[in-house]
Amino acid sequence: MLRIVVGEGSCGIAAGAAKVYNRLESLINDGVLKDCELSVTGCIGMCYLEPIVDVYTDNERITFVKTDEKFAELLAEKGLGSEEVNAYLIPQADVDRLDKQTRIALRNCGNINPEKIEDYIAAGGYEALKKVLSGMSQDDVINVIKVSGLAGRGGAGFPTWFKWNAAKSSPGEEKYLICNADEGDPGAFMDRAVIESDPHNLIEGMLIGAYAIGAKEAVVYVRAEYPLAIIRLTNAIKQAEAKGYLGENIMGSGFSCKMRIKAGAGAFVCGEETALIESLEGQRGMPRLKPPFPAQSGYWHKPSNINNVETFANVPWIMANGGEAFSSMGTEDSKGTKVFALTGKIKKGGLVEIPMGMTLREVIYDIGNGIKDDKEFKAVQMGGPSGGCIPKDLLDTVIDYKKLGATGAIMGSGGMVVMDETTCMVDMARFFLDFTAKESCGKCVPCRLGTKRMLEILTRIVNGEGKEGDIELLEELCLSIKDGSLCGLGQTAPNPVLTTLKYFRHEYEAHIRDKKCPAKQCKSLISYTIIADKCKGCTLCARNCPVEAISGSVKQPHVIDAEKCIKCGKCKDNCKFNAIEIN
Amino acid sequence: MDNVINLKINGKEVTAVKGQTILQVAKENGIDIPNMCYSEKVKVYGACGVCVVEAKGMPKLMRSCATMAAEGMDIETETPRVVQARKVALELMLSDHKGDCRPPCVKACPAGTDCQGYVGLIANGKFDEANKLVKDKFPLPASIGRVCPHPCEQKCRRQAIDDPVQIAFLKRFVGDKALESASSCTPDIAADTGKKVAVIGGGPAGLSAAYHLRRMGHGVTIFDAMPHMGGMLRYGIPEYRLPNTVVDAEVKAIENMGVKLVNNTKINAEKFNELKADYDAVLVAIGAWTSSKMRIPGEDAKGVMGGIDFLRKLALKEESGIGKRVAVVGGGNTAMDACRSAVRAGAEEVYTFYRRTREEMPADKVEVNEAEEEGVIFKFLCNPVEILSKDGVVCGIKAQKMELGEPDASGRRSPVPVEGAFEIVELDTVIMAIGQGTKAEGFEELELTRKGTIVADEKTYMTSVEGVFACGDATNKGADIAIRAIGEAINAAASINEYLGGKKRTFAETSQYDLYSSVEPTFEQIREKHSDKAPVQKIVMSHDNAEERKTNFNEFMHGFTEDEAIREASKCLECGCMDYYECKLINYANRYDCQPGRLAGSIHKAGIEDCNEFIIRDTAKCVLCGLCVRACEEVTGNTALGLVGRGFDTIVAPEMCLALDKSKCTACGLCVSLCPTGALTEKPAMKKAVPLKQTREESVCRFCTNGCKTEVVKHGTALLKVEPAEGVVNLCHNGRFGVCDDDFAYIECGSDYEAAVNAIVEDIKATVNLDLSKPAVAISALHTEAEAKALMAACKKALGDVPVFTLSGGKKLSGKDLELSNEANKQNGKDTVSDIYFGVSADGLAKAGVSSDMNVAKNSTVILAFGEDIDEKTLGISVVKLPNVFEKL
Ligand SMILES: Cc1cc2nc3c(=O)[nH]c(=O)nc-3n(C[C@H](O)[C@H](O)[C@H](O)COP(=O)(O)O)c2cc1C
Ligand code: SF4
Ligand code: SF4
Ligand code: SF4
Ligand code: FES
Repeated sequence: MLRIVVGEGSCGIAAGAAKVYNRLESLINDGVLKDCELSVTGCIGMCYLEPIVDVYTDNERITFVKTDEKFAELLAEKGLGSEEVNAYLIPQADVDRLDKQTRIALRNCGNINPEKIEDYIAAGGYEALKKVLSGMSQDDVINVIKVSGLAGRGGAGFPTWFKWNAAKSSPGEEKYLICNADEGDPGAFMDRAVIESDPHNLIEGMLIGAYAIGAKEAVVYVRAEYPLAIIRLTNAIKQAEAKGYLGENIMGSGFSCKMRIKAGAGAFVCGEETALIESLEGQRGMPRLKPPFPAQSGYWHKPSNINNVETFANVPWIMANGGEAFSSMGTEDSKGTKVFALTGKIKKGGLVEIPMGMTLREVIYDIGNGIKDDKEFKAVQMGGPSGGCIPKDLLDTVIDYKKLGATGAIMGSGGMVVMDETTCMVDMARFFLDFTAKESCGKCVPCRLGTKRMLEILTRIVNGEGKEGDIELLEELCLSIKDGSLCGLGQTAPNPVLTTLKYFRHEYEAHIRDKKCPAKQCKSLISYTIIADKCKGCTLCARNCPVEAISGSVKQPHVIDAEKCIKCGKCKDNCKFNAIEIN
Repeated sequence: MDNVINLKINGKEVTAVKGQTILQVAKENGIDIPNMCYSEKVKVYGACGVCVVEAKGMPKLMRSCATMAAEGMDIETETPRVVQARKVALELMLSDHKGDCRPPCVKACPAGTDCQGYVGLIANGKFDEANKLVKDKFPLPASIGRVCPHPCEQKCRRQAIDDPVQIAFLKRFVGDKALESASSCTPDIAADTGKKVAVIGGGPAGLSAAYHLRRMGHGVTIFDAMPHMGGMLRYGIPEYRLPNTVVDAEVKAIENMGVKLVNNTKINAEKFNELKADYDAVLVAIGAWTSSKMRIPGEDAKGVMGGIDFLRKLALKEESGIGKRVAVVGGGNTAMDACRSAVRAGAEEVYTFYRRTREEMPADKVEVNEAEEEGVIFKFLCNPVEILSKDGVVCGIKAQKMELGEPDASGRRSPVPVEGAFEIVELDTVIMAIGQGTKAEGFEELELTRKGTIVADEKTYMTSVEGVFACGDATNKGADIAIRAIGEAINAAASINEYLGGKKRTFAETSQYDLYSSVEPTFEQIREKHSDKAPVQKIVMSHDNAEERKTNFNEFMHGFTEDEAIREASKCLECGCMDYYECKLINYANRYDCQPGRLAGSIHKAGIEDCNEFIIRDTAKCVLCGLCVRACEEVTGNTALGLVGRGFDTIVAPEMCLALDKSKCTACGLCVSLCPTGALTEKPAMKKAVPLKQTREESVCRFCTNGCKTEVVKHGTALLKVEPAEGVVNLCHNGRFGVCDDDFAYIECGSDYEAAVNAIVEDIKATVNLDLSKPAVAISALHTEAEAKALMAACKKALGDVPVFTLSGGKKLSGKDLELSNEANKQNGKDTVSDIYFGVSADGLAKAGVSSDMNVAKNSTVILAFGEDIDEKTLGISVVKLPNVFEKL
């Protein structure tokens, strides 16, 4: 009996997993593939290898990558172990990459069927909840979390036990537990992966949290752009209710808790906890003044606790394995593991979960396999638009809240964008600022107007219209916005600019004073020319130019009309003789 | 008591009650912390960041509106760090705040006279107030209104539709009005300071400076070389433009304030030294009295004279010495005065030589046209190169013919000679009116410019000698128009005042935001914005025709009638922001010396929205403090306004982005009261909206028995609006906007209605000058049935059979009105909901024979309205001049 499991996270589906699944299914139905059982699982984090198919024999798991319909047919035709099928085997290097990770939050992702509670239970699921409900007091639970050293994974890294304890100790009968699954950072998908691939893990973590603070109602605020996550979580909630893990008198313990989902309207700022609460209450998503903190006055002005998906996803493991097991991993300051979404100019991107204390170099080179096209590493942006960049000479910084903070970047929620020599740092800062400026809720003056003015200054710098004094003005605005904004969005928005100014100030100066873009990216500051000596007159460039800016006859050196050129770079990409240069 | 918290603010020990914010505690202790998004009427929001303060030992600045006072806090409210943070926050707000704080006319006036203000007051028939407003700046409106080349009108936006508002003539109108009623307007004079100032020169600059210095309580003496005061107004401007009687009357008013006038006294070096010793300060405002020369051959021949010398001789009634054929050289206003005076003085042929064309002439176009009508012959493109003479006596001019060349740097096309083309004109007299200079005889001790004018500091107006100040034509750049000299005199007086008080004033410190505004719109944009206004026929002031006037020096422009003045003033487009005197933003911007351009950038999409009959929104001025939105939701529960969009594009918009009057808005006006800028303004209680300085008086609303405390906002005697008094959360619509008519006369009346009605009728006949041919009477439902009957009887006696109708804020008091006022009452913490209505209902009045149909009054010329008073003492009768205001309601 073979068990065939197709990876159907959003990434797998995007890569064509559904087609593979359907083909396999029809082959099984037609009796071509015999003695097989077909199921799905979530994302294992190696998105560049999708669609991934795992085949479980009685005693081993064989992983096939970048599969297609052909693979299904070959499997049916030639059988497991055949040369043709083995061509799809996962490369050893990728297996090693997985081995270098430590998976706690993602422990079931890609391994179990997220649509079946039985799979979760078989993997030890709901044992932690059982343990908690059979005799642990609220304080006992909070204490285990305290020992574990778990800190919020949503960005700020605040000790989880402290928030739980504050919510528990707040007077009042009616309390709420909220899960923040708004995940608005561009490029981040840690939370989506957890919900899509292991929804019961989240539910169990939340129930333990709800028990600890004394909440009878829990809400998951998911961004509406995550339809698959919403479907799987809805399904999981139903299953858990049917099993008596959710609802009245859970497992006969007397503890009751309802859970529901709220689809968020998709504004980045709604991920900020107080804005999220406003949004839950049906108001415009705008942050509230703190204090009072949600633990004192949150949802409907009742004591509330908000945690991130990944935070909750660690909880069942911690309860099952003990706080010490978690805190034994990591550094003095940061315990356990952290999930990152590794993207950008990296060879092997994807979702990775690593123990705290690893260096950036290890993550980027050992797990991510280094820089695409073997270009020069330039910097890594941590924490998305709220974070900062870390340059090459700080690559040995270890992953730890304090150490990362000291560079000017942040741990953040897990975005890790790798940049190479061709990235213009000014333009990068502009890109992130464009995001925050648009996403500002518009409430406070420094954030709404300050980010806009910064964006305008950055835009004029990359357009070659920068003026002396612009850097100083940027710095002044950065400080005013950091100091004067109400919520984290505004307070952190200047980080990309501050860190690039700190590590790459010369790039700003080159744009402003010399009207040059050192990375040769800013269109207003570059021009394309053909080196006559190298040009063989193959006409390829001229044929590819979308605006017919290139002229020249066959076998004669070509020329680019700078007036017409729109600097799309197609000619350079197509030239086989390296005859086109950027000035 | 553990409820009491001790803390320090700016070093001062203060106490607070638990739960109070730092902002509240500071306010209680008279410490003003600026704030834009705070109001005690709504929940704390914390958006603007202007209220930040620093606390010792705290690393971050705190928002004082949102931070609770805590034991032992040590707060500073104006540290450099705080100031910097506020400044940036304000500059950011200003970078996306667009509007004309002040109108273009005011900005164009060198003396900063409040054109829009007095024009608007005239439009509302408030002539006295208009006069006061002008006189706040300078004492010579009747004179200047006649002669000013009015830079204000050049900038007036009305010209995009038809013609500029005739601002100068309107100024003349109020000036003349004031002279007619001698009683009016001796300005308030501060208590004597014991300081003495000598002003040398009794021209517009000297007179204006003396006027201001006197108002400040200083003893002032003006010394003048001529037999009468007025300077160039009297000796440089011919009487047909500005009669001596007008100048004399305005000078007299200054004398009446206690300014000493000493004429026929030329100040020489010795006398100057005496003045310096005898007075605490000296102001030199001696003007520019020498005619410039052309430096061409023959200029010293007999029969050649300077333009102002000629005019002065005429003014002194001396023999002018001109012949039958006269040429005036020059193209400015003095040249026009000279040639037109020459015509009047009996010359038979009068020429004006000007080296460019008519278009380039600096003189007023009207002057040129009028001179031509009077027979002056213009020789354009003619440049005198030699004065021909026989036996030392003028016999003609040789002039080089010119043509216009390429435009020069200033854009003016400069004249170039046409090779070999000359013209010779035979003449008896040549008057050179090409410019004036100063001979600072007797003042050699002062540092002079190369031109010979006195050097005066541009900021302090002090000369090189301590305690000696100078302004006007005699200083720096030299001669210019009178109103510029007056502008300098206003500043110089302020500077002298500071000097006398021991300080040194620098005018760099004056608020730059007073003059802040957006880019001037194009005519096209102006027309678009005012598409509801059609061009109207220009009101031409009555005047004598050329044949009549050219034989004498009598004034030939006869001034506007009241009706003309009101019609002319009503054309004003109300360019300047109505919130100028209340706007927090401009106030703070000035206080923190903000620089608008520093953080300039793009501006959000915005426009003006005429929301309903009571409220106007100008979204370009919104700074998104959110007060309106929050007040509407939290206080009224209407949620008629909301925030839309994100980031920079966030705006305030009525619900569902419809028009406000399609929303649940009840027009309570709370949002308008709270808006810290001019983004929300109320339509005025007067007919025409005018931004004016305000005074506030506590009063009680009389629309219903709840008696909400109100604040009546006035400018002088003009009612501007009614707002909730401090501590009162909100008024109902009636209380806020009910009192909205353009002219209320209040009469202490008690219960003797007959006497009151008679008194008011007499008053109308005697002073208000209204047409009483078709009166109507409005009676408020606030009266009892008996009162209503008594009132009707009294009116019948005084006015005959008149239409009578009900009035309550122009409306019939309905159940809805009652509900609104009760709602306002509840918000203000009163639990008694009024169920007994003071007086009778509309139905009850109908029984007493009072119709509820306001149409009965439509054709009336005047309405007496009973019961709509705005303060407690004068339970009153109000006269409503223009019945059509009721159509508004
Ligand atoms: C602009 C902004 C966006 C945020 N977005 C998210 C988000 O998408 N998901 C999240 O878990 N936390 C987000 N946060 C952090 C939350 O405010 C909050 O700190 C977090 O949900 C707490 O959970 P934790 O303690 O488990 O990290 C955001 C914060 C800010 C200021
Ligand atoms: S910092 Fe920005 S996003 Fe946060 S409350 Fe202020 S305006 Fe809104
Ligand atoms: S229209 Fe009125 S406010 Fe505008 S410039 Fe003319 S007079 Fe001044
Ligand atoms: S319109 Fe509303 S949000 Fe805008 S400035 Fe006025 S009160 Fe504030
Ligand atoms: S933030 Fe305090 S008044 Fe605006």
